[in-house]
Amino acid sequence: MYRMVLRMAWASLIRRTTRSMMVVLMICVSLWGLLLMQGIYDGMTEQMISNAIRSDSGHLSLFGHGYRLDPALDKRIQGGGLNSTKLATLLDHDSGVASWVGRLNQEGLIATAHYSRNTIITGIDPKREEIHGNLQNYLIQGKYGFGQSGKGAIIGFKLAERLQVDIGSKIILSAQDLNSEVTSIALHVSGILKTNNMGLDESGVFIDINIARKFLGVVHGLTQVSIMMLDDKHISDMQSSLQDILPDLEILRWDEMYPALMQSRVMMRGFSLVVSLMIFGVAGLGIFGVILVSVLERIREFGIMLAIGTEFGQIRTVVLAESLCLGVSGFMAGSLCGGLSLWYFKIHGLDLTLFSDAFEEFGMDAVTYAIIRPEYFVTAFTAVIIATLISGYFPLRILRKRKPIEIINEV
Amino acid sequence: MMLLNIAFRNVITHRKRSIITMLLGAVSTALLVFSSAWMDGSHQQMIKNGVEIYSGYIQITGAKFRENPSFDHLLFDVETLQSHVEAVQGVQLFSPRFESFVLYSVGEKAVGGMLTGIDPEKERSISRLHASLTAGNYLTQNDTNKLYIGQELALRLNVGVGDEVVFIGNGADYSFAADRLVVKGIFQTGLYEFDASSAFLAKPYFDMIMASDNMATHGIVLPENLEKSETLAAAIEEVVGVEYQTASWQQTMAALLKSMKLDSVFGYITLAIIFTAIFFVIMIYTLLVVYARLREIGIMRAIGTTPGQILTILILESSILGFLSVCAGGLLGAVFAYYFYLHPMVFSGMEEQFKQYGLAASAIPTAFEPVTIVRDMLIMFILLLLSTLYPILKVNRYQPIEAIHHV
Repeated sequence: MYRMVLRMAWASLIRRTTRSMMVVLMICVSLWGLLLMQGIYDGMTEQMISNAIRSDSGHLSLFGHGYRLDPALDKRIQGGGLNSTKLATLLDHDSGVASWVGRLNQEGLIATAHYSRNTIITGIDPKREEIHGNLQNYLIQGKYGFGQSGKGAIIGFKLAERLQVDIGSKIILSAQDLNSEVTSIALHVSGILKTNNMGLDESGVFIDINIARKFLGVVHGLTQVSIMMLDDKHISDMQSSLQDILPDLEILRWDEMYPALMQSRVMMRGFSLVVSLMIFGVAGLGIFGVILVSVLERIREFGIMLAIGTEFGQIRTVVLAESLCLGVSGFMAGSLCGGLSLWYFKIHGLDLTLFSDAFEEFGMDAVTYAIIRPEYFVTAFTAVIIATLISGYFPLRILRKRKPIEIINEV
Repeated sequence: MMLLNIAFRNVITHRKRSIITMLLGAVSTALLVFSSAWMDGSHQQMIKNGVEIYSGYIQITGAKFRENPSFDHLLFDVETLQSHVEAVQGVQLFSPRFESFVLYSVGEKAVGGMLTGIDPEKERSISRLHASLTAGNYLTQNDTNKLYIGQELALRLNVGVGDEVVFIGNGADYSFAADRLVVKGIFQTGLYEFDASSAFLAKPYFDMIMASDNMATHGIVLPENLEKSETLAAAIEEVVGVEYQTASWQQTMAALLKSMKLDSVFGYITLAIIFTAIFFVIMIYTLLVVYARLREIGIMRAIGTTPGQILTILILESSILGFLSVCAGGLLGAVFAYYFYLHPMVFSGMEEQFKQYGLAASAIPTAFEPVTIVRDMLIMFILLLLSTLYPILKVNRYQPIEAIHHV
């Protein structure tokens, strides 16, 4: 029976090829555009989040109590050296932790012979940062590392532009040490990086953590510990369990450190949902029109079928099958085009370097790698099915209210 | 006229198609008009913030200062420059500033930031510094070691009005400069980064401690007509000569302007995706209606109506529908745009994101520009007309006998 129903539905669709093709094309093109939009926009947002996580916050960041409000060295995480603290042991033995790094941050002033700016000085262990957030991949000039003497510094590209410094240029860092004395150190620029994390690019200076310890007079302790998790679904659980073990520390998730990025993600999802609703609402209207006309122009045919004993359920199945055929064909064509385009942009990226300075203004990468999420297709499929079923329902209601004899006698 | 009558009657006869087409057309137009007003409004707000809060409409610097912002490329004879600039027609006033990055220190705490010498009276006209006062008092020209400090910077240094702040920095001659300052007033512009790193002194006193008398890092020009900043900047550049560089806000904020354009491009791409679906739906409905009237069209052809006349009737029908829907949608969009122009939309809870994009307030007005509204209506009218062309041309290709017998 289902074969016959499908054949009838197919025959009806083929009879009006142009309009059937138009509906399929409509769903295909709209879905194609929608999938591209979702994948590219999500890619942009996720890249911004990833840049912030990799270059700064990790999935979780640990700070001394009160340090976030008042970033002073005496509010750092106190304890032994990097690997000998309770914290280090704890993190090294946690199977959920992919990597962690300790940093020593201090606000200060960076100066050349002619110009000075405020800066955030961050003492890091370059080898650990390499494993932790692939910091070396952000390098656009120079070498990753601080040289044999450790007297190198890696600085943000915007800061380098403003100070007019290049690789090898001498810079003077001034900051307050642990004893509240203003201290200075001369270093040379060994690398320039572009993270698209606006704070770092505009005012970040990375120096060797051992040099930072001497410079700031901090023998033990860290101002920030950044943790990368193996599975980002466990971030909140890890946060609460660490908070239980280390009640004296402030433990923040990346979205608590960068609320604007989380808002961007939420806003982007809401925006996608609204656009999807509008597109599928409009597409549903298109399918509805075609099915309505298709039913009305065959109303005598349906009247005769009802008069010779065909059950209404069978006619309903034929109409719904027609509607579904249109919807599913459009969905498949749109998903194929959209999926292939997204796959292309996932591999090669969407290169908008033409607008690179505009992207920098927003702290975004000029090359966006698309994201493909199964939920795009599942949501689209559900929406198409709902739209097609609703589109078929109303013409069927009209048909149901009519009596076969009236329909047959209609001129 | 007869053809118009027929077209009009057809529009009334096929009510359902007309209503759906008009609804879709009107909704699309309203959406486009309002989206444009929203995008333009938020962009104008960002630019206004950027220009009016501090950076100014026209900036004059030393010729090489932008490329190499060192004290070697300052404005060295500000008084002469000022007299030349103020003589240019269209210049309302000129105000010099001297910016220097210093280390602020309070008790055991030190924070890097910008210390700028300003003319307090002139700043009232060229920036929103005075209007952003939240505590204490604004500066006067005769103030000595009185500091006007950003609220976030004051919080970071943990100081209030009357508290002492020490600074260490470089004077204009690269000598060591330091002084004890007293907080006279606190301001909050809403631009987080700016409020977290800026403080101001009256320029006469600043010049004394920084050895910058008759010097400035840059000067701000306030044009009489803000719309003509670009042409005025060019006129000033001609007068002051190659020693100086004059840039309008369009140049100093070129990256921001480009990012606005990019944002608009993404906005219009999203609208285009929605409009594609609408375009197809209108095309489908037109196709359904003209095919339902194929016999009628065949008979008209058989009794002597030319294909050109049929084409005209069908295009007139689409034009009537398009015109009515664009007018209704344009009006609807314009009403919303005007309402939110008068009563800006408030986005509470989105402050963090606004900070990131340099918006000083979470209330954003839409732009209400009749020319843009008419432009959007025209675009939608053309699109609506185009969407009906294919079905109209297709049906017009039928021979009369074919059309009459079409099932």
